[in-house]
Amino acid sequence: MIELTINGRKVQCPPKSTILQAAQANGIYIPHLCWDRRLTPYGGCRLCLVEVEGQKKLLASCSTPAEQGMVVQTETPKLEKARRTVLELLLVHHPLDCPVCDKAGECELQDLAFKYGPSQSRFSGERKHEPEFLAAPLIERNTNRCILCGKCVRVCKEHQGVGAINLIGRGFKTKISPAFEETLDCEFCGQCVDSCPVGALGTKPYRFRSRVWFMEEQPNICPYCSVGCTTVLSLREGRIMRARGKDGVGINEGDLCPRGRFGFDFIESEHRLTTPLLRKGGKLEPASWQEALEFVAARLSEVKAKHGAESVGALGSERCSVEDNYMLRKFMSLAVGSNNLDSRARFGYHKQTGALKKAFGIPWLALDFNAPLAADVLFVLESDLTSTHPVYGLKVLAARRDSEATLIVAGPQETKLATWSSTWLRSRPATGVALVNGIMSAMLEGGLHNKDAEKVNGFPQLAEHLKKYSPGEAARMTGVSAEDIRQTAAALAAAKNPMLFASFGSSSNTKGEGTALALMDLAILLGRGPEALGMPPEFANTLGLQMAFGDEGKGLDARQMLYGNGQKPIKALYIMGENPAVTFPGTAKVMKALEGLDLLIVQDIMMTETAAMAHVVLPAASWSEKEGTFVGLTGKPQKFVKCLPETGLSMPDWKILRNLGTLMKAEMGAGNFAELAEETAENVLSAQLPAATPALTAVEQATTETTEDGYRLLLATGNLMQHSGSLTAISKNLGSAVSDAYLQINPADAKACGVTDEGFAKVSGKNGAVIYLKAKVTVEVPEGMVFVPTHFAHAGVNMLTSPPTNGEAPAVAVKVEAA
Amino acid sequence: MIKYLLGNIDNPNAAEIEEYEKAGGYRALTKALSMEPEDVIGEVRKSGLRGRGGAGFPTGMKWMFAANDPKFPKYVICNADEGEPGTFKDRHILEKNPHVLIEGMAIAVHALKAERGYIYLRGEYPEAEKSLQKAINDAYRKGYLGFPLHIHRGAGAYICGEETALIESLEGKRGQPRLKPPFPVNAGFFGGPTVINNVETLANLPFIMASGADSYLKIGSPECPGNKLFPVSGHVERPGVFELPMGTTLREIIYEHAGGIKNGRALKAVIPGGISAPVLPPDKIDCPMDFVSVQKYGSMLGSGAVMVFAEGTCLVKVAWRALKFFEHESCGKCTPCREGTGWLRSILERIENGQGREGDIELMEDVAGNIAGNTFCPLGDGAASVALNFIRHFRSEFEDHIGTDCRKMAVL
Ligand SMILES: Cc1cc2nc3c(=O)[nH]c(=O)nc-3n(C[C@H](O)[C@H](O)[C@H](O)COP(=O)(O)O)c2cc1C
Ligand code: SF4
Ligand code: SF4
Ligand code: SF4
Ligand code: FES
Repeated sequence: MIELTINGRKVQCPPKSTILQAAQANGIYIPHLCWDRRLTPYGGCRLCLVEVEGQKKLLASCSTPAEQGMVVQTETPKLEKARRTVLELLLVHHPLDCPVCDKAGECELQDLAFKYGPSQSRFSGERKHEPEFLAAPLIERNTNRCILCGKCVRVCKEHQGVGAINLIGRGFKTKISPAFEETLDCEFCGQCVDSCPVGALGTKPYRFRSRVWFMEEQPNICPYCSVGCTTVLSLREGRIMRARGKDGVGINEGDLCPRGRFGFDFIESEHRLTTPLLRKGGKLEPASWQEALEFVAARLSEVKAKHGAESVGALGSERCSVEDNYMLRKFMSLAVGSNNLDSRARFGYHKQTGALKKAFGIPWLALDFNAPLAADVLFVLESDLTSTHPVYGLKVLAARRDSEATLIVAGPQETKLATWSSTWLRSRPATGVALVNGIMSAMLEGGLHNKDAEKVNGFPQLAEHLKKYSPGEAARMTGVSAEDIRQTAAALAAAKNPMLFASFGSSSNTKGEGTALALMDLAILLGRGPEALGMPPEFANTLGLQMAFGDEGKGLDARQMLYGNGQKPIKALYIMGENPAVTFPGTAKVMKALEGLDLLIVQDIMMTETAAMAHVVLPAASWSEKEGTFVGLTGKPQKFVKCLPETGLSMPDWKILRNLGTLMKAEMGAGNFAELAEETAENVLSAQLPAATPALTAVEQATTETTEDGYRLLLATGNLMQHSGSLTAISKNLGSAVSDAYLQINPADAKACGVTDEGFAKVSGKNGAVIYLKAKVTVEVPEGMVFVPTHFAHAGVNMLTSPPTNGEAPAVAVKVEAA
Repeated sequence: MIKYLLGNIDNPNAAEIEEYEKAGGYRALTKALSMEPEDVIGEVRKSGLRGRGGAGFPTGMKWMFAANDPKFPKYVICNADEGEPGTFKDRHILEKNPHVLIEGMAIAVHALKAERGYIYLRGEYPEAEKSLQKAINDAYRKGYLGFPLHIHRGAGAYICGEETALIESLEGKRGQPRLKPPFPVNAGFFGGPTVINNVETLANLPFIMASGADSYLKIGSPECPGNKLFPVSGHVERPGVFELPMGTTLREIIYEHAGGIKNGRALKAVIPGGISAPVLPPDKIDCPMDFVSVQKYGSMLGSGAVMVFAEGTCLVKVAWRALKFFEHESCGKCTPCREGTGWLRSILERIENGQGREGDIELMEDVAGNIAGNTFCPLGDGAASVALNFIRHFRSEFEDHIGTDCRKMAVL
């Protein structure tokens, strides 16, 4: 600790603090405009000046290190004068258009001018007269209001690792702009907007929507990925006006991604369901709740009577709360009497939980959100972490930037992490197992592994197995050089605190359970346990769903229910908050199964492609229209709140299930939400993670399909930072950033296939499916691979994919031609 | 008097490597290369050489800091951005005697075990680029250079002469100054320990190495040894660059070497060290021109650029023109400089145009007083102190100018 005196008070601060940080840590306020906790000090605004004894000049406290014994004054007449001058100077060119500026009321310049001094400058100099920049999606820019603090530039470059904007021009004419004054084309995370102290950057969806003093703030847990960020909603008259990150609030401490900041508007979509629907004469017609629930109860009893309770299945939702999923399970067991319960996680998260059981004997991982910051070697395998889990991905970036950790990124795609990596191993798609096997083989070869691992069950078999994956052999399979494989092995083995990262989403088809298992083997060879794994669950409540559903293996899983894997087909399916017609792999099989059902019940917030096929559709209240619990990557429950009225006649999922179960004479309990929450807390959330017991498993490199003549490109599917599942396709905000699927293809392949940039491509699979996509010719994907995001129903990407059967990576081979 | 910087300059072929060799060139390098790098640094420290870029920082000490930093690779950068109004001394070395600089750089690179060297050349010096590039090629051809030496042409921003802005620019970024510490000697070009020296500083090295620190110490003044280039401009009979020992008085420079005030007029004001240096009234011209003495006289040696203003010059106009320069060159990073230079310029502009208002001088003093010392880098500071010092020494002229348009009466 450093000791210094500020304003006559003895205070302490940790080493490496600046004077400003020392003051803040002790509750002493120093005005500042260009300083941001997350960024390297800039020293530009000159508002944070302080007097230091023995120094002639005033010093910028944000960028002057606090020193032992320093004597600092933060409020003296001299400082007041200097600050007043700075503010006056800032107001010299400021347009003072507060009446039409959305920032008014929460503008730092306005507040400071009010606090310190002149509301107008003695100098009425020239103002700036740039037009507003409104052409880009989501982000608006008014450079006339900019005070050139440079925070947006630094947030974008340093913190987000993007660098989409900069200061251009010099002196008074300096302004914020994308390169060459082009239209902003970036990730649209909106982090720059939150960092802007004035109204120079804004979000377009909020433009002229409200004055800040008319709104109420309500923090809520983001409904998208498993990071579980707190997104702070601004509410007015029962509507969400905007969402922001607030410094220090939530696990994300104020950071947000495009989904968390802009994705809330799905709630107001015209595709929302407002009333129950019953199929009458082939058409879905509005019905009352009474009618709809009686219909469901009657038809379920019929199916049960005819085919037995085991012919009824249900799919839960990784987006619904723990309570909702718990009630679905309760409904299935008490009202229906079936254990056929599964979810989309079968094709995503289960890859890692399956592996976890084998490798460590535990059902899930509880991640330490800040663990990446303490890691010295970070290995990311075939995962676009900053897209799938943006704010978790920022931790990996931060480790690289702030502590100069070694970041090794393996994978074919030029992801953001790849561009910031210390080493990018550009492996062929879906060869993760071979690569990790090669790394382990190199470790054993050099005797670099942790010797305790030799005592772990399965070590001899693994060691034998890895002989097939010598670095040379692995190099042949992955396209990464044997030298690089050896160096990676050495770097990982030498690390004090290595971490292995991968995300296993349902839409990503280049990794299987085997990939997860191989990474866990590697962790064990490094002498590490589950704490070394950075494998977040996919969605906001994927882990909560897993907890709510509990033990597996009692009933049929999604593969057995929908893909007819040698089982008796199910006759009735209850789907809550899921859209298998779009989001499940192998659309043709899924559609066939759905069409063959005697009864399809879909309970959803919106009219999905699956709902359109249902016999009965039950409208559910969405996130923010109901309360509940999510369990995200930390494994800790987080409550989300109700702050909006329910849409139309919709009801929370748990309530629909309770009412229906009660109608079917089951003892559903859950008189109100509080009762239910208590029950789930006791029955579900109290579960403790057992201690890990490591075991090693030999894993073979395998993919569902391999490339061959005719089908020479491997199709990788995945997630974009701006979208989540198929839900966000109805968010107009996110749609304005990315509205459609596309095919990323390498220039060489494009040339060979006769496909041009922005031209249409015909993509056909071995299963006979054909889809058409706009091509994006880019070196972000290597030769031999194409990439397609899966969020957009009409693109039909899942027509080409298939579910994994045996732990392999479910990648498929396609043919691409000009359309 | 020995002239080791520009002594050979009247020889039209002075820039040719053969001529340079004939005059003893590159022997200092050969000698330095035979010494241990630490000993070269020791010799430079002993010589007392101080940087000629403006701040007068002891060069040997700067080198020692960089050498002591354990990080590699290290870099040597020559600051040839020479953008300060009134300053045109480096240009003569670059165009007429480039080998003395190249030899100096080679000595520095050896002493610092640097990986490579860069010469950051003012964008508006196309001739210098030609002669310098030819000289570099010739030096390679003759085998004098065992490291990559690049010329990087600036894009016309004065701020890029400030060492950290120079590094940013050289790295391909926007030219604006960086926070110090860390200083370039510890984290400079792409994070490597970097020594940045002015052209003239580096050009002193061959003499120091060839003749030894002891002979060097015999030149100039005790605290500031060696010769200094003084570019003299303005109302003198013989404007030009003069190589004279440190400590030569302003009077001697103006009246002997530059031939006195033009047309026998009286001296009204002199800026002794480039436009950022505070102006001095005529009674101060006995000031010896070295880093220590000029400061005692209330100004600074800066680049040593002497700007002479004869009686009849409108100093409001001079101040206005100076502020116009600073406004134009402010990088925009910090508030006081970005916004304040424009404000000061506009007040001066209205005074100059006969539209000054009551209280304008006090206003300027107040604004400039709150800018001075509070900016991020010395550019803004310089701007404010220019305004303050003109008012300080010539207040009555400013007062008289309020409400008068001097264009109607001046005798320039
Ligand atoms: C605004 C500004 C402009 C500068 N321009 C130059 C320049 O053109 N040439 C130069 O050598 N030093 C210039 N300097 C000084 C450099 O920052 C640095 O001190 C110098 O290059 C160090 O070299 P030296 O130790 O050899 O003097 C400038 C400084 C400032 C603040
Ligand atoms: S929205 Fe995000 S990526 Fe785009 S400019 Fe702002 S910070 Fe950068
Ligand atoms: S746009 Fe906002 S954050 Fe960016 S420099 Fe201007 S005032 Fe600062
Ligand atoms: S004083 Fe400030 S604005 Fe001016 S040049 Fe220096 S950093 Fe840039
Ligand atoms: S906060 Fe310190 S200079 Fe801006």
